[in-house]
Amino acid sequence: MIFAIQEGKKIMQNRPAIVAVGRTKFGEHYGKEPEKLIEEAWLTASRECDLERRDLEACYLSDCFLPITNKLGLEEGFLSELTELHVPMEVTRSVSAALLTACHAIRAGVYNTVLVGGIEKMTDRWDKIRDDLMLLEDPWSYYAGGTPEANHELLLRAYINKYGITGENLERLNVALAQVSVKNHANAAKNEYAHFRRKITVGQVLNARKAARKSLGLYDFAPISDGASALILTSEERARKMTDKPIYVLDCSSATDYLNFTARDDLTHFTATKIAAKNASKMAGVAPSDMQIVEVYDQSTVMEMVSLEDLGFCEPGTAWKSIYESRPEEKGYYEINGRRVFVNANGGLKADGNPLGATGGAQILEIFKQLRGEAGERQVDLGQGTLRYGCTSEFEGFGTKAYVTIFGRE
Amino acid sequence: MSSEPIERRVSYLGDRLKSSRCGLCKKEYFEVRDYCGDCGRKSFGKMESIDLFYEKGKLELCTLVTEPTNKFMKLENYVYGIVSFHEGKIRVPGRLTDQIVKDGETVDFSSLEGREVVPRFRRRYSVGRSDVVPTISLAFTLADEYYPHQEYKVVQPSKEYDTPGIVGYAFYTSRFRIREGSLERSVPFIDEDAVTAAVESGKLALIHSGVDSALVGKIYVGSESNPYAVKPIASKVAQVLKLGEEDGDTQGVDAVDTEFACKAATSMFKDAASLVNYSKSDIKYAMVIGADNSQAAPRGCPGGELDAFVGYGGSAFIFGKHDVLAEIEGWYSVTSDTPDFWRRDGEPFPMHGGRFTGDPAYFKHVRKAATKLMEKLNVQAGDVDYFVTHQPNPQFPVKIANELGFKDEQYAASLQINKFGNTYSGCSPVGLASVLDIAKPEERILMVSYGSGAGSDAYLLRTTSQIVDKRHRQKLSVKYQAENPFVEFVDYTTYRRLKLGM
Repeated sequence: MIFAIQEGKKIMQNRPAIVAVGRTKFGEHYGKEPEKLIEEAWLTASRECDLERRDLEACYLSDCFLPITNKLGLEEGFLSELTELHVPMEVTRSVSAALLTACHAIRAGVYNTVLVGGIEKMTDRWDKIRDDLMLLEDPWSYYAGGTPEANHELLLRAYINKYGITGENLERLNVALAQVSVKNHANAAKNEYAHFRRKITVGQVLNARKAARKSLGLYDFAPISDGASALILTSEERARKMTDKPIYVLDCSSATDYLNFTARDDLTHFTATKIAAKNASKMAGVAPSDMQIVEVYDQSTVMEMVSLEDLGFCEPGTAWKSIYESRPEEKGYYEINGRRVFVNANGGLKADGNPLGATGGAQILEIFKQLRGEAGERQVDLGQGTLRYGCTSEFEGFGTKAYVTIFGRE
Repeated sequence: MSSEPIERRVSYLGDRLKSSRCGLCKKEYFEVRDYCGDCGRKSFGKMESIDLFYEKGKLELCTLVTEPTNKFMKLENYVYGIVSFHEGKIRVPGRLTDQIVKDGETVDFSSLEGREVVPRFRRRYSVGRSDVVPTISLAFTLADEYYPHQEYKVVQPSKEYDTPGIVGYAFYTSRFRIREGSLERSVPFIDEDAVTAAVESGKLALIHSGVDSALVGKIYVGSESNPYAVKPIASKVAQVLKLGEEDGDTQGVDAVDTEFACKAATSMFKDAASLVNYSKSDIKYAMVIGADNSQAAPRGCPGGELDAFVGYGGSAFIFGKHDVLAEIEGWYSVTSDTPDFWRRDGEPFPMHGGRFTGDPAYFKHVRKAATKLMEKLNVQAGDVDYFVTHQPNPQFPVKIANELGFKDEQYAASLQINKFGNTYSGCSPVGLASVLDIAKPEERILMVSYGSGAGSDAYLLRTTSQIVDKRHRQKLSVKYQAENPFVEFVDYTTYRRLKLGM
């Protein structure tokens, strides 16, 4: 391990790098066992960088509900059986958390090559998964009759009240949120792995809200999906031997907030994201708002809007305006401060899908492909300049844990 | 909830909305906290326990839930949102209860946001038939509608009486009714049952009496529709209303359920009065509650004839010797083994002896108890200002009152069957409550209850000047509930659905 002194600070040189990624299609995998899904994701990633499973020194797996949905406790054991490995394995609840832990190990020089994966099989418990989700996210709200969707709705109402958005502006905000969904569906149409690969219209989003008798409707919310994702994380030195286009993890930060949404000081934004974003930019030397591509955690269209503010792209209370004026449903990007900002190029949770424990892997995959210029049909067009950095923002729960990870290429 | 310890903890906190306040910086927290997040270690032991149960909240934000989680499915559509207390110092999630939002009906959220709400003690959600029944007070109703907010203020008693009697009372029923012909009957909302009615009526009786709940040493709950075959309603009432001395999570109170069809509660009046009168007892007050979600099989089924008369509600009476508003002058009880109405264990609905319930049952027992007591106390019908009796249907009480020589003006005020239906254990007590609501000092009330099985308790009460003094603390009077503009009438199908509950 090499240490260097920079501005009086010890900086470890073992930069973690991603050398390969893989994932399954998100959606309903009725006939596939959970282990088949993770196998599929791992095989894609390992093929990409020509790695054998015995080369892995540790595995970091994430899942939220496998013990409940598939009655699989001690997931490390079944992964050990699957891989015939006896290396250290740890389970987290999100890929970002798994990556964060893995990065610590790589930076510390403990390991050189590790697998980071995520898996979720929510549709196996289709009839009860919303109860599980809500009880996990916010028990008191669950006991009071809350639903996962209701919290998004309340956050939106709090936002509208706080920023005094009325009349024409309120209509614009409503259209802006619909545009978010339309844009994400359009992106997913170009994503072979996405849960929903069909385009929708602003009219459809608005009609669904009318049917729901609320501000948010069917097309404002991410679905419940099955899926798996995997990536190979190595030290910088190892990465250079394996690929000529490693993508570095410049930093990942996390922060936490109360379980009970109603008790939080701020009902309109996610404090945890704000803190994580700030800390991540300090370490990485670039801020999320410097990025031109970000993957945000859009469990709802409101979450995508608010994330733009929490990550620093827009001033609080103004993101809807930027979205509305950008016409993202036509262009596919937001225009913020004269720059193109691509948000959820893979279709986001809304259309790419949201298998909780695997979702972060799909976000990272997108940034990885985009930074390497391998996103094919989805490859973003900045207009001018080159893409150097990318960022993902992930949640566990309704903003209870937030992860902001910043990636960069050579 | 599959875990009983978790169920116990959630109920313990949620039923009373237990909260904490930092003694140093006054920051408030929902749930019990040992220390303040801001003040840290130095706040240990300085956290004050505050309950939001008697408070008034504000609905800050709300939305409509049309696709609830599984356990809330039976509520269909409901308004859900964020409620704040103490000028926003505490925010909790909550749903509006007592509201039927039809499919396709839109709700104007902005007309609800900002309005004051009152926490209501309700069933939390649906569970399996063999599970613990979960409850919570994160259900709210609008303070400017059926159920107004009433402050619970402990009043130091000013006078000790020689004879024990009633020091506070209340009747509680839901805001829903079914109207068939001239008969209106109360219908519980889907999250209500005998337990919630018992707690709500007990809460209102405490407010009315001004009695410190810590001084209530015994609680009796009479009911024939306890959701449990084994597990008392009284323990729930004791815990939620904090009866007796609170010590950790236990209450220094004796709590017991009683059962004798519709006289399960009235039977205990004399026990409660005797208990507070026993010189060696340190029990200052005893509470008696009669509460029922009166059961009846659907029409057309055996026992379905009861379905035309059953109601829902609870009546609570607090007995003591201080600030008595109606002294008990005497009583007489009769009992015989008469099977005129019964429900076998495990059966959901009671059976009914048809014509047998009249002469050999109801009339015989009421007549005997009333005449015996009047003989014993040397009282004539004309000496009594009000006559109250059990009201299983509109005809029976009138017939027996006339037979006993009472005139219309003596018994008319007590007839509540036309407004609320037969509230079983709460039935003759609601008659008594309606009379106490209007009685002047120094008036005499003869109450004769009836319980199938069968027996009657007759009581002679004499009101005092306290009855007028305490009346301003009784916002939710019987008349107020009978004639409330926010009463909502439902059709037969809805009535059966609500009655069967979550």
